[in-house]
Amino acid sequence: MDPYRSGSSSSCAGKAPDQIDGLLAAAGYRVRSSELRNVAQRLERLETVMVNAPSEISHLADEVVLHNPSDLASWVDSLLSELNQPVPVPDLSDLTYAQPLDPTVNTGAWMEHHAAEQHREIPQVLTAVEEDSCIQLVHVLMTCAGSVQRGEFSLARALIDEMQGLLTRVNNRCGIGKVAGYFIDALSRRLFSPQGSGLIGSAYENEILYHHFYEASPYLKFAHFTANQAILEAFDGHDCVHVIDFNLMQGLQWPALIQALALRPGGPPLLRLTGIGPPSSDGRDSLREIGLRLAELAHSVNVQFAFRGVAASRLEDVKPWMLQVGPKEAVAINFIMQLHRLLVSDPTRGSPIEAVLGWIRNLNPKVMTVVEQEANHNQPEFLDRFTEALHYYSTTFDSLETCSTQPDKALAEIYIQREICNIVCCEGLARVERHEPLAKWQSRLRGAGFKPLHLGSNAFKQASMLLTLFSAEGYCVEEDGGCLTLGWHSRPLIAASAWQAIPEPNPPLGLVDPYNNVV
Amino acid sequence: MVQLLDLGNVELTLVSDKEKRLKFCINDHMDILIEILQRLDGRSLGAAACVCRQWRHIARSDWLWEHLCFRHISPRTMAGVRPVVAAMGGYRRLYMLCLRPVLSRLGRTRGLGGGDPEVVRRVWTQHLVELSLSLFCVDYYERLGNGGGSGGWVGDASASSLMFLCKPVNV
Repeated sequence: MDPYRSGSSSSCAGKAPDQIDGLLAAAGYRVRSSELRNVAQRLERLETVMVNAPSEISHLADEVVLHNPSDLASWVDSLLSELNQPVPVPDLSDLTYAQPLDPTVNTGAWMEHHAAEQHREIPQVLTAVEEDSCIQLVHVLMTCAGSVQRGEFSLARALIDEMQGLLTRVNNRCGIGKVAGYFIDALSRRLFSPQGSGLIGSAYENEILYHHFYEASPYLKFAHFTANQAILEAFDGHDCVHVIDFNLMQGLQWPALIQALALRPGGPPLLRLTGIGPPSSDGRDSLREIGLRLAELAHSVNVQFAFRGVAASRLEDVKPWMLQVGPKEAVAINFIMQLHRLLVSDPTRGSPIEAVLGWIRNLNPKVMTVVEQEANHNQPEFLDRFTEALHYYSTTFDSLETCSTQPDKALAEIYIQREICNIVCCEGLARVERHEPLAKWQSRLRGAGFKPLHLGSNAFKQASMLLTLFSAEGYCVEEDGGCLTLGWHSRPLIAASAWQAIPEPNPPLGLVDPYNNVV
Repeated sequence: MVQLLDLGNVELTLVSDKEKRLKFCINDHMDILIEILQRLDGRSLGAAACVCRQWRHIARSDWLWEHLCFRHISPRTMAGVRPVVAAMGGYRRLYMLCLRPVLSRLGRTRGLGGGDPEVVRRVWTQHLVELSLSLFCVDYYERLGNGGGSGGWVGDASASSLMFLCKPVNV
């Protein structure tokens, strides 16, 4: 975890370098934000020298200040040269410092010295004490995760107590404090709750959280709109189309597709939608309700529409005969943040992902859209997963800070908290959030007999335009070999890709004949 | 036209028969009024709807707002859009909910500073309209859920999907 990123996100995120320069100048410093990284490195050296050899520098206390401290870079250089230390060459290959540094980092001593000039409002300024606590917190988190991996549970519990103490000294309403709070909570669930069951909610609760996550951030909208664009292009020229959605939720993706099909030149096709979702408790048939709503919308825009709901608690329980794909239909398969659930591997049941991809391939879909979190949360070692998740969700929470509507933001955070808990607390079959990066998905899908479809420039333009509508300027859309990724400050967080089955010679068609036999 | 001439201490009201015949009231000439209204921008059109009942009736006609929405799109491939938009709430709602905030947001991010509306309108593209229609459709779908039956969302008002458009831009 890069300690210099902790808490700087709110103040520096989205500020152009010249704005940071302006802030620095207003505080009385003559230094450019581009130089700050080098300044920080030299300050570290200076601190090391001063701490390790106090006897050599006592002469500095007797002398008049020779240099203007407002010119940070040359002041530090001159101090270092006085102490006969070589000035370090800036290390340009150091990728850890990817972000512009918070100008308040490591200025603890100077902040007292320049207190007068610092009265100006720099948002989210961390005091030196807080900064230290943040760095300590991250280190203790890592140590605790390491001890959990090694099975040293009493040490881990002690570390959790220590972290709770540290949390009180940190602003836990934003930045690293908030993220650390969630991870500490997840670790303590793992340690103290029986069998670390994570956070499990009802399907209804999940739907509500999902909806608020949809509102609070552009990730799901990006996923839906990009997938719809790929589906629309694949359906061009077909009059009977069938979309199979592996996680219907409230069906927020489909109104836009229905509307786009209604307006396509040549008129709308006959649209069938098969929505898969968990079985709903307490008597509600949520799948049917969503289907009725979508049907009403389709009817009002004159699109012939038919809906079918398939309730399945596990994706691998879905079988092709349940979908009733007709022989002349163009099929589109849609996986929004779902495909990773099939990576749960159970020695008794074989590999669900291969089985499902196999029968999907036999359906010969025109397009299969896959949108996944761009993270490596499926590594075998717990500590690796933990570290990766800490980075990933820190970035996600940073991006969520820009949302200002409540309760969207709070509920979106709970939605993410559930993912975190699943990754940290659960193991084996219970751990379903097995995110893998795009490169891994690409090789896996290629191996399963799919070839990639390029998401065209229309999808990219639409995604870019969607992002300009969101008030925060930190989001970025990138194109990566035909796939689109959406990220926060150059860290991709979600990746969308489209695939087509490579037809086998003489494939079994996987279709259902009138006697319900698979042909 | 009735003129009041102040000639020193004398006020003369000149209303002649001829001038009575030339007395012009815009409300008698709906076609001219419509011609004028269809050249206005959204804000002015909204203000015009507040003038009197007759103006309100005309200024709220969806045809005027359709004209406003697609005035600068060329070619006019939006022929089939009308029934779709009408079914989802009409052009006035489309403009208010989607197009206006989208345009102002895009205008600001491109550094136009929300200044010249003409320049802002000229950057409309097909993609923008399509995106607005998609967002409008999601909004309509959510309203179906709210107005409908038991499947409503907890505590949501209408048009929650488009709330992000109403937030102030944090530049």
